[in-house]
Amino acid sequence: MSETALQGYLALSALIFTLGGVGIMVRRSPLIMLMCVELMWSGAALALITFARHVGNMDGHIFAFFVMIVAAAEVAIGLALIVVLFRRREEVDADDIQQLRG
Amino acid sequence: MPMQSAPVLALIIALPLLGALLAAWNRNTWSRRAIAISSSTMVFGAFVATVIALIQLSGAEGQVLGFELVRWGPWGDIDLSLGLLGDPISLWWSIVVTGVGFLIHVYSAGYMKDDPGFGRYFAKLNYFVFAMSLLVLADNYIFVLIGWANVGVASFMLIGFWNYKPEAASAAMKAFIMNAIGEVGLILANVLIFVNFGTFKFDGVFNQVSGVSTEVLTAIGLLLLVAAVAKSAQLPLHTWLPDAMQGPTAVSALIHAATMVTAGVYLVTRSHPIYLGSETAMQAVAWVGGLSALFGALVALRQTDIKRVLAFSTMSQVGYMMLAAGVGAYTAAMFHFMTHAFFKALLFLAAGIIIHYLNGEQDLRKMGGLGRKMPAVYWMSLIGVVAIAGIPPLAGFFSKEEILHAVHAEGLTFLYFLGIVVGGMTAFYMFRLFALTFAGESYEERAQQTAYRSGKKNRRTEQAQEAVHHPAGPEMLIPVGVLTVLSVIGGWISIPGLTSVPQNFLGTALGRYTEWHAHAMSYGPELILILAIAIAGAALALYQYGPQGAWRRIEIESAEKRSTGLLATGFYLDSVYQTLVVRPVLGISGFIANWTEPKVVDGAVNGLARLVQITGDTLRRWHAGLVRRYALVVFVGVAGVLAYVLLMF
Repeated sequence: MSETALQGYLALSALIFTLGGVGIMVRRSPLIMLMCVELMWSGAALALITFARHVGNMDGHIFAFFVMIVAAAEVAIGLALIVVLFRRREEVDADDIQQLRG
Repeated sequence: MPMQSAPVLALIIALPLLGALLAAWNRNTWSRRAIAISSSTMVFGAFVATVIALIQLSGAEGQVLGFELVRWGPWGDIDLSLGLLGDPISLWWSIVVTGVGFLIHVYSAGYMKDDPGFGRYFAKLNYFVFAMSLLVLADNYIFVLIGWANVGVASFMLIGFWNYKPEAASAAMKAFIMNAIGEVGLILANVLIFVNFGTFKFDGVFNQVSGVSTEVLTAIGLLLLVAAVAKSAQLPLHTWLPDAMQGPTAVSALIHAATMVTAGVYLVTRSHPIYLGSETAMQAVAWVGGLSALFGALVALRQTDIKRVLAFSTMSQVGYMMLAAGVGAYTAAMFHFMTHAFFKALLFLAAGIIIHYLNGEQDLRKMGGLGRKMPAVYWMSLIGVVAIAGIPPLAGFFSKEEILHAVHAEGLTFLYFLGIVVGGMTAFYMFRLFALTFAGESYEERAQQTAYRSGKKNRRTEQAQEAVHHPAGPEMLIPVGVLTVLSVIGGWISIPGLTSVPQNFLGTALGRYTEWHAHAMSYGPELILILAIAIAGAALALYQYGPQGAWRRIEIESAEKRSTGLLATGFYLDSVYQTLVVRPVLGISGFIANWTEPKVVDGAVNGLARLVQITGDTLRRWHAGLVRRYALVVFVGVAGVLAYVLLMF
C-alpha cells in the first residue's frame, strides 16, 4: 500500500471516528447516540485494517472481526435499553435521563 | 523463719467471701432471717477458724503458720510465692476482726430489719470481713495492697449504702478519693520494696533490712505512713472519717471504729523492722499520731452530732495507737487496738440503738432523758464511756497507760504530756456525750414545756412524736452486752505483775523489739496525774452538761442554729481542702470541659468532617447524570493524554 493510500484511509478513519465522537456529544436522542458509538467502532476498525494491510499482518483483520462481534452485541443490548426507554417515556432525551446522578 | 502449713488460715478468708457471694446471689429470694443467719454464721466460722489457728500456733513451738495461695514464677531469679501468714500479729488482728465482726453482724440483723437493701447490706458487710482478713493475714505486701484496696471498696460501698441520699454518696466518694492518696503511697512503697529487696514476702524483706541504707528505709517508711494516714484517718487526711458516718451505724462501728481504720496501725506494726531502721520514719509516725490524737479530741469537744463525736474520738484514739507504734511500743499499740475495738464498737452500737429509738435523730442537742427510758443502754454506755475515758479498772485505762508509759520511756516529753492532756479531753467529750444523751429532760418534754408556757398545746403532734420510737430487740442488745463485758475485762489481760498476755504472745513475733519496753506502768505521781486529769475532765463534763449544767443549756438553746467556730467545723479543714484542692481541680476540669473539649477536640473532629463534606460537594457537581457531558470529559481527557504523549515523547 502506498504512503498516499495509507494516509487517505487513516484520514477517513479519523473522520468517521470524530463524526461519531462529536455526534455523541451534540445529539440528544439515545438512538442517534448509539449509532454514533457504532460510527466510532467503525472508524477504529478501519484504522486496524489499514495498518494490517500496511504491515502485511493478519492480526489487525482478526481484531476488526472481534470489534464487529462486540459491536453487534453492544448494539443488541443498547437497542433493547432504548426500546424499553421509549416504552416508558413519550419522548426520549439523553439529558433528561439522570436519575442516577451523584 | 520456720513455718508450719495451716490450711485453716484459708478458711478465715474463704468463709466470709462465701457468705458475701451467698447473700449477693440470694438477696432477693432468701428471707431476711436466712440471709442474716447465713452471713453471721460465715463470720462466726471465720472466728472459730481463727481460734483453731491460735491453738495450732500455740502448739507450733516457735514456728509461725503459713499457707501458700498463689505461686508466680519462677521467672529467672524472681519467684513470687503469695500466701497467708498466721503469726501472733496477724492472728491478734484476725481474732478481733472476726469476733467483733460477728457481734456486729448479729446486731445488724436487728438494726437493718426494715431496710429494703437487707441482702445487699449483708453481702457488703461479709465482703468487708473477707477483705480485712486478707489484709491482716497476708504474708506479703502484694496481698496487703489487695486487701487494702478491697477494704477501701467495701468502705466506699457501705458508706454510700443509702445511695439515694446525696450526702451519703458524696461522703462515700470523699472516703474513696482520700484513700486513693494512701494507696498511691502503698504502691510506691511496694515498688521501692521490690527494687531494694527483690521480694514482697515479709520474712524475706525483714531479713534483709540491715543490708539496706537508712535513706531507703526512711523513704519506704514514710510512703507506708502516707498509706496508714489515709486509711487510719490521721492528720491531714482525716476529713473523710466524720463524713463516713453517713453509713449505717453498725458499719461505722465495724469499719470506721473497730477494724478498718486501724489498718494503718497494722501496717506500721507489721513493717516494724523497716521503721526500726529509720529514726526519721519513727519520729514521723509518733508525731502524726500524737497530733492526730490532739486534733481529734479538740474537735470532738464541740461536735453536736453523736456519731461525729465518736468519729473524731476514733481519730484521736487511733492517734494514740500510732503514737505507740511511733515509739516502738508495738504491743501497746496492738493492745490499745483491741480494747478500743471493744469499747468503741460498744459506744457506736449503743449510739445506733439510741438513733434507732429516736427514729434517725443524731443531734445531741435534741436528745436527753433517755436514761429513764433505756436503762440497759444507759448502763452499757456508761461502761463504754468510763472505759474510753481511761478510768480503772476498765479496759481503756490499761492500754492507754501502757502507751503513755512507753512514750515517757522513749523520752518524748512533749508528746507524753500531750497524751495526758488528750486523755483529759477524751474523758470530757465522752461524758459530755453521755450527759447530753441520757441525763435531764427529753427533747419532747422540753418542747412540751415551751408549748405550755406559750399556752398552745397540741395533743396531736405529741402523740405522733410518742409513736415513732423503735425499741431495740435482743439481737441488738446481746452483742452490745457482750462488748460491755469485754470492755470491762479486756484490760485485765495486761496487768503488770499479774498478767502479761500481749507481751508474752506478741513478743515472739516482735522478737527483740519489745525488749526495751519491758512491761511496766507509771507509778506514783505520774499515775496520779494521769488519773486526776481524766477524772477532772469527766467531772467538768458532768457538772457543765448535767441536768442543771450551764453549758448544757447554752448548747440546747442553740439547737436550731448551725454550729460555727474552729472546733465545731474541725478547724475549717474541709473548707481549706475545698479551696486549695477541690476548687482548682474543678476549675481545671471546667476549663477542659468548656474550652478544650469543644474548641480543640470537637473542633478537630468537626473540621475533618467539614473538609470531607466540602470536597464531596465540589466533586458531586461532576456527576450530574448528563451522559453527553461524561462523553465530553472522556474525550477531553483522552485528547489531553494524547497531546501529552505526543508532545513530550
